[in-house]
Amino acid sequence: MTPSPLTVALLGNPNVGKSTLFTALAGIPTRVGNYPGVTVEEKVGRFTHAGKAIDLVDLPGTYSLSPQSPDERVVVDVLHGRIDDLPRPDCILVVADATNLARNLFLATQALEVGIPVVVALSLADVADRRGLRLNVDELSKRLGCPVVRVAVPTGEGLRDLKDRICSAVGSPAPRPIPLDNGPPSASARPAAATEAIARYTAIDRLLDGITSPPEKAVQQSEDRIDALLTHSLWGTLVFASVMLAMFAAIFWLAPPIMDMISAGMDHVGDLVRRVLPDGAIRSLVVDGVLAGVSGTVVFVPQIALLFLFIAILEGCGYLARAAYLMDRLLMGVGLSGKSFIPLLSSFACAIPGIMAARTIENRRDRLLTILVAPLMSCSARLPVYLLLCGAFVPDQAAGLPWLPLKAVVLACLYALGVVVAAAVALLLSRTVFKGPPQPFVMELPSWRWPRPAVVLERAREASWSFLQNAGTLIVALSVVLWALMTYPHNEAVIEADVAALKATLDSQAAATDPQSADHAELIAQRAALDTDDGLEAARRGAAQRQSILGRAGRLIEPVVRPLGWDWRIGCAALASFPAREVVLGTLGVIYNLGDVDPGAVEGATALERRLKAARWDGTNRPVFTLPVALSIMVFFALCAQCASTLVVIGRETGSWIWPVVTFTWMTAAAWVGAFLIYRIGLALGW
Amino acid sequence: MKAGSLDDVAVGSTVRVRDVAGGDPVSIRLLEMGVTPGVNVRLVGKAPFGDPLELEVRGYRLSIRRREAALVAIGDR
Repeated sequence: MTPSPLTVALLGNPNVGKSTLFTALAGIPTRVGNYPGVTVEEKVGRFTHAGKAIDLVDLPGTYSLSPQSPDERVVVDVLHGRIDDLPRPDCILVVADATNLARNLFLATQALEVGIPVVVALSLADVADRRGLRLNVDELSKRLGCPVVRVAVPTGEGLRDLKDRICSAVGSPAPRPIPLDNGPPSASARPAAATEAIARYTAIDRLLDGITSPPEKAVQQSEDRIDALLTHSLWGTLVFASVMLAMFAAIFWLAPPIMDMISAGMDHVGDLVRRVLPDGAIRSLVVDGVLAGVSGTVVFVPQIALLFLFIAILEGCGYLARAAYLMDRLLMGVGLSGKSFIPLLSSFACAIPGIMAARTIENRRDRLLTILVAPLMSCSARLPVYLLLCGAFVPDQAAGLPWLPLKAVVLACLYALGVVVAAAVALLLSRTVFKGPPQPFVMELPSWRWPRPAVVLERAREASWSFLQNAGTLIVALSVVLWALMTYPHNEAVIEADVAALKATLDSQAAATDPQSADHAELIAQRAALDTDDGLEAARRGAAQRQSILGRAGRLIEPVVRPLGWDWRIGCAALASFPAREVVLGTLGVIYNLGDVDPGAVEGATALERRLKAARWDGTNRPVFTLPVALSIMVFFALCAQCASTLVVIGRETGSWIWPVVTFTWMTAAAWVGAFLIYRIGLALGW
Repeated sequence: MKAGSLDDVAVGSTVRVRDVAGGDPVSIRLLEMGVTPGVNVRLVGKAPFGDPLELEVRGYRLSIRRREAALVAIGDR
């Protein structure tokens, strides 16, 4: 029988190379999950040394064991064995940054009071050497009363020794706490934690007295110069803008080719299935339900991986904190903090990686607030909707200035709309629902260093994998449900009747229009298409979708969308685009009997554009799509939460199903009101 | 409160912390981060719009908002 593994808790301040040490000791984690009840990541990795199996539990980075936040409370609970199915640790491995010893020993001396054997790893020892920092490690170990090991992961220094010390520390008596001179308890009005903090630093100063030397001036100065440039009001902001632009461009332009490859690959699999399975419900379920869901999940992975690659690099070199520092004032105005900037910026490419990037915000209130407003940033899925409708219905004219096309102004306004609404909502929520005591923005600006490639890659891998594992299954399930709603009931007789009625309508409409007009030509072309195989098949698909549950729901909600200037077909397309906004164009294509148009392709877009322009209200000669209607649709899609994957990810990241429901409800309401207002304004101004 | 607190120190100057006021989570966090009575703090710089501040304390860099800096009373050195 193999003995049960030893449990070692990895404790340390943020930014001290804890993840680097975790990867160096245990490699890829064997278990990643959430601690029960809180959205704090639980990461466990295993390694064997000297015949002993050791489970290394990575704790969230913390500055203190007097918990102030739920995240910090988890750390204390783990150390005291108060977490279900996680045994009380046999040993605490404290990672202390050798370049910043005084503050790191604050946590280390607290760890000595837990009552479990402690081993201290002095991380970044190589960086400390380069800076000329001298430390008598043996003396420190003697004064602390626990083993202290110098560790430098790049050279491998100290890793073996560290494992030896861990193995021999387990089972040894708990260390003696460092005595603190708290003074008489009634001496001050300070709370206990404040008195303790002051006394602890006094003890640490004594502990380090005579065994450390300050850093060399020259090194210090060169670090100062980098910092002075990168946090300078002007130059720092310029560098920041370039870095952010590069990051955004990478997600926006590097990811799509990979995403296209994934989509093409999935289409290929779909074709294979189509060839193997006979035509019918099963084939439709597999291809249009399951495979569409899988493809709709996997397609997000390139963006997530790229964003986390960037974040890990920025975090690894110390820039992430500087970015938050530079942007803090701007976001503080709307009740957020500088740490919300990167999640919100990346949401312009896609809200899913953006919401996941909110993991870098330690403060729970700020994290939740950021997650709730992130879907308002106009993501790349909204762009095709904007482009098609702007291209087709916004007149070709200049807006005030001769070189400024009106189309571009409308497009910019749509992007601005999301930002303005997000700012207003963040401000409102932070003053009402999330009102509370002021949140400290006490943030370390870590020293500059080179990011470790292994850690960077692990971060990207972990983010992608957790998305696939946690959100993927739900997205696939949702995709199957929506497939069923769009497919059933299926009645051949109704479809035949629908197609016949369509032919009759087109004939009568064509007879009623001026034979010289473009509309007339389009109606004739549409009627002629119904006599071809492809055209008939497309019309039959449209008829099938119109009689499905979702199609009927579209008719049912017509009174709700009528005030927005929409007919039931648009309402139906909006409903069917719940899985993802970009689907709306494809759905409009199906509803308008074009079959599966690819709105990304030029001929698909122009065919759809023509069809939309020719669309008439049922039984009249009044065009459905006018400028106010197009604006109303675009505003709706700018503000709505029509993205099932985003809602699933919000659920996963907040650990509660309340938030996706809240998000969907308020965003849909806001989208309706916005669409209504722009439609009415448009009508009133005679656009 | 304003006079002699860390939020109106000139960039580049080093000052000695006299006290950190209050017993709320913000002041406790400041103390835990090493901004304790008697320690020297250098104001390294300010972010665009003058907030937050970048400090050097106990050999490392720390960013705090002006509102938080106002809690830190300083004495001349």
